[in-house]
Amino acid sequence: MKLLGAENSEEVQKLLIEQFEAMENSLGGPPVVAVVRHLELAKKLRDEYQYRIFGFVVAAHYPAPAKDANGVGELIRVSYGLRSVGKGTKLATWQVCIPVDGAIPTLVPLFAGADWQEREQFDLVGVRFDGHPDPRRLMLSEDWQGHPLRKDYAIDTKVHPWR
Amino acid sequence: MAVDESYRTYSHPVYDFMMKVPGLDVMTTTVDKLLSFGSEASLWIFPVATSCCGIEFMALAASRVDADRMGAIVRGSPRHSDVMIVAGTITVKMAPRVKKLWDQMPEPKWAIAVGSCAISGDFYRNIYSVVPGIDTFIPVDVYVPGCPPNPEAMMHGLIRLQEKIRASANGRDVNREARPEAVHHQRLPRLPILGDPARTSELDRQQVASAASLGWWDELNLEQALDSVAKDLADESESEPKV
Ligand code: SF4
Repeated sequence: MKLLGAENSEEVQKLLIEQFEAMENSLGGPPVVAVVRHLELAKKLRDEYQYRIFGFVVAAHYPAPAKDANGVGELIRVSYGLRSVGKGTKLATWQVCIPVDGAIPTLVPLFAGADWQEREQFDLVGVRFDGHPDPRRLMLSEDWQGHPLRKDYAIDTKVHPWR
Repeated sequence: MAVDESYRTYSHPVYDFMMKVPGLDVMTTTVDKLLSFGSEASLWIFPVATSCCGIEFMALAASRVDADRMGAIVRGSPRHSDVMIVAGTITVKMAPRVKKLWDQMPEPKWAIAVGSCAISGDFYRNIYSVVPGIDTFIPVDVYVPGCPPNPEAMMHGLIRLQEKIRASANGRDVNREARPEAVHHQRLPRLPILGDPARTSELDRQQVASAASLGWWDELNLEQALDSVAKDLADESESEPKV
């Protein structure tokens, strides 16, 4: 299986590991960057490496520590992907791990395209994006309780009389 | 090419009689019968076509099946319509909108639930965002089963609705009832994985028992499954129930 992180070009991989001290991902995904350096990394990739298109942000909730996750507790893993434009389109991916009640700086000031994608992740997984200009739910109704893609979301949570 | 009237797909006493007597333009009848003929032969459809069933619904209105030949034409406004056809999965976010549109339709009005999704939520029934059947919030007259039902089945549903309208004009009690009590029956088995700690052991026991009674449990190890349930029950009696 080709892993997501394997798509990083050599120069990006080098940047991540040498300058941003990215750790190897215990689950085999893209390298893990510390939350505090996340914004700086995105800015550098956009301005100096021509990764100017926001590809995706995907969050996943891990309820219990994975087998070899060095004692990390319950967490949310947020993966980012940026695309470069022009000849030989490339992808730069990295991951940020936050605790379930933690927040992550938003990328909306850098990439306008991040707006709805971050709202979706907030809606379904419950990641808080610090400084998001419009932090409302995107898909579910405004009065929804909880975040349904969390592993601890009870399937029969009552949100309306008919559900 | 001449139209052969003997191949009509629906009938009505008034219409039949008028067709049989050549040159009969005017006849007398009871007002009820006349009005029911009017309603049933001009069922204007308000479509709520939200997913794959909606595609089949389009075929109902297109030329091969052609609901138009029985006076059922599709309108884009609830104010013009007599029958709401709900074809597709209704989500929790969509349901209030459907209800609002239903409330905007003038009486007399009818509802047809097309497809398993509209009838019961189908295999999305247990998903957090899907309403388990539209009859939990609007009264449904005719259910057309299938996933998706073919356009002919939907046509059949329309014909059944016409029969219903005629029967009610004749004084038979065919009125639908809303099913508010259905809301109380929404708790269903969770995903069928034995040993899932989120499941209640009572459900485990019932499912294993019903599967065993159906006889399709052969390839799985029934003893082992029952053991795991018994173990769960023992665990649960020691600690607080989780759900
Ligand atoms: S009943 Fe089947 S075909 Fe119809 S909307 Fe549901 S899944 Fe699609």
